[in-house]
Amino acid sequence: MAQTRRFELAMSPHVGANQTTRKIMFDVVIALLPALAAATWFFGPRALLIVFLSAATAVVAEFLCLKFMKRPVSFALDGSAIVTGMLLAYNLPSGVPIWLPVIGTAFAIVVGKQAFGGLGHNIVNPALLGRAFLMASFPILMTAGWAAPEAWNSSEDISWGTSGIAMEEMSTIPMADAISGATPLNVLKQTFDLDASAANARNEGNTTEAQSLEERADGIRSALSCNSTYMNLLIGRSGGCLGETSVILLLVGAIYLVMRGVLELRLPVSYLGTVAVLAWVFGGSGWFNGDPLFHVLAGGVILGGIFMVSDMVTTPVTPKGRIIFGIGAGLLTMVIRRWGGYPEGCSYSILLMNLVTPLIDKLTLPRVFGEVKKNG
Amino acid sequence: MIKARSFKGGIHPPGNKDLSSKQPIRRLPAPETVWIPLCQHMGVPSKPSVSKGDKVKRGEEIGTQNGFISLPTHSPVNGTVKSIESFPMPHRRTGPCVVIETESEDGGQVFEKWDDYSSHSPAEITERIKLAGICGMGGASFPTYVKLSPPPDKNIDTLIINGIECEPYLTADHRLMLENPDDVILGMEILAYTLGVEKCLIGIEINKPDAIELMDKKGVSVLPLKVSYPQGAEKQLIDAATGREVPAGGLPLDVGVVVQNVGTAAAVAKAVRDGEPSLRRIITVTGRGVFSPANYDACVGTLFSDLIGKSGGYTEDVKRLISGGPMMGMSLYTDGVPVTKGTSGLLALTDDEVRDVVEGPCIRCGKCVDVCPLRLTPNLIALAAENERWKLAEGFGALNCMACGTCSYVCPAGRYLVHYIKKAQDAIRANKGKEA
Ligand code: SF4
Ligand code: SF4
Repeated sequence: MAQTRRFELAMSPHVGANQTTRKIMFDVVIALLPALAAATWFFGPRALLIVFLSAATAVVAEFLCLKFMKRPVSFALDGSAIVTGMLLAYNLPSGVPIWLPVIGTAFAIVVGKQAFGGLGHNIVNPALLGRAFLMASFPILMTAGWAAPEAWNSSEDISWGTSGIAMEEMSTIPMADAISGATPLNVLKQTFDLDASAANARNEGNTTEAQSLEERADGIRSALSCNSTYMNLLIGRSGGCLGETSVILLLVGAIYLVMRGVLELRLPVSYLGTVAVLAWVFGGSGWFNGDPLFHVLAGGVILGGIFMVSDMVTTPVTPKGRIIFGIGAGLLTMVIRRWGGYPEGCSYSILLMNLVTPLIDKLTLPRVFGEVKKNG
Repeated sequence: MIKARSFKGGIHPPGNKDLSSKQPIRRLPAPETVWIPLCQHMGVPSKPSVSKGDKVKRGEEIGTQNGFISLPTHSPVNGTVKSIESFPMPHRRTGPCVVIETESEDGGQVFEKWDDYSSHSPAEITERIKLAGICGMGGASFPTYVKLSPPPDKNIDTLIINGIECEPYLTADHRLMLENPDDVILGMEILAYTLGVEKCLIGIEINKPDAIELMDKKGVSVLPLKVSYPQGAEKQLIDAATGREVPAGGLPLDVGVVVQNVGTAAAVAKAVRDGEPSLRRIITVTGRGVFSPANYDACVGTLFSDLIGKSGGYTEDVKRLISGGPMMGMSLYTDGVPVTKGTSGLLALTDDEVRDVVEGPCIRCGKCVDVCPLRLTPNLIALAAENERWKLAEGFGALNCMACGTCSYVCPAGRYLVHYIKKAQDAIRANKGKEA
């Protein structure tokens, strides 16, 4: 009789979307590749080496952790470790010694991810945690290695990439010794220091000195806000971390992710929008005269906005929560850039927001269908 | 172009309806033996009123109603009761069945024929619908007469006939609307008369333009709906049709609406006009695991194996057998299971058709939150359920979940979200029982 045939039992639903964690992760890897090409072009094969070392370390570290905890080691190849490794490398200057990404990634995977229980359970973005760890442990290496773009294969001395600013101008800035491989944001930060010196001078009654300092600061700022600077930032011909240089190629990756249904726009749009608005409000020397375009293009804001603010695991799951997260991270980024101790605020702002993600989720639970109103 | 309405959230799984949507309904004669489950409806099983050796007539009651949320059961054939035994069921592991050896399949009219329903009172009609054993034929199998007996303080103003059939693969309701529109329309009129409502619509997804056109031509007000799963869920349908939100934990009648499936409407027409209880139903047998997908008009109590045999048998690569649709249906380990009043489909799916993902950890992608038609946070409920934090799960609204499967469908991590949420619901209800 027909009853002898036995069928597989399974839980409903029996059909499902053609999407898996692994596919998502590898889509992110693919989306990161154009920026890697830019990094290699501008910073040389060394950039490629650093990214490769970092990704490889991530996979090996993940494998060893899984083995140690007796969990399925196949998770090491689900792509998430590679993403973490690549992102960490993208947040390093190209001049770092090659053992630095190895240490940083191992820390990111072991402490930032596996110690919390592995994929999906980590509270903060492991790549950013790894970067913060390196910043705290090797501050000099992490900030001195800014190579000038294209310097690697050029016989000429291209001292730095934010063209449009004369070297003599730079040499007059205090802390000028850090300039040789500066990033555009470093320069901007230093104009704020010039402003401060000018104010001091004025207080001491030295008006001429104050005036000349102010003029210099303004001159540099207007140089930063010129079209050639924008252009260089767009294509990536400027100093900075490996992955953050070429805005255009990062956007290519973003478009790919949107087309694949992997990138949800609420997070990046609210983040970048907030950065732009606040840059105008207080990103310049006074109020309401900042340069939003410069702030959005320079530094890691685009990289962070596409790949780190939108990291699924460490950001809210509710639609409203995502917008709040983006706004919060944008606010912190700009506050750090303007008044904090670092020229760049992107990674710390995201790390801080990661910590409050569970709280944001809890406070922004959607109103359940048919429920009148949540109290509180 | 028709302006189609919809609801927020939802998904668009491949319909796969063309496998069977062009197949006219084939009426199958009753098999030699029928297995009539005593619980084909939601609620308390009926009490057997026959015993071994009894002769029964087609339409005769073989199980009596046992409580408010319960229904009588009838014999779909003339024959002899062979036994009353426990048998595998489509929706539970096993259940009591009256096994009848078929002699013939004529007769069946056990109630008076009412040519003009409007000369009878709504109460009389409701009673008829109850005695005819009619339950919702869209899947949930809730006794229809209960829905027609709203408490006096509820003011019902709208009747919606559900012709949406949003589950992929299924085409039974579609074929019924095309081939027997008059029964559907008569049933609709009877139901509207019984409820005393003026406003009466039939909701149809725009992937069935022929049905929309036909119903429209016949003067029925059609509500065209966008293709989106689960458009056919009562709350989503009511939302799209009236803009009213059924309160959480409430019923459609709380917003003045009653929803009935097209198959139910046709069964009501038969019971009132022809005096025949609910003995047969339309069922889609489909999937790439069966040779010739088809729509059948089959006797309740026909075994699934018979239906598969009529459809040319299984293909080599058949893997999963499902009673109902692929989103909410139950997988069966055997095809020795009888058709019930609520069986809308039988799917034989192959390896390529079923989704087989290894469950991984939630990556918090938020997709499940985006698609849940009830705006729940399935990922958070599931996590709470895994950790047996029932109070937390309840706080996330676990009890609202209708197990539509939309969240699991999109989950890239292959999380068994519906399973965890159901587990939470059971535990929450059990704890409530203990406290009370
Ligand atoms: S099964 Fe429940 S939680 Fe999942 S989508 Fe449907 S209603 Fe929402
Ligand atoms: S869809 Fe799956 S992986 Fe994504 S948040 Fe929901 S449960 Fe987690």
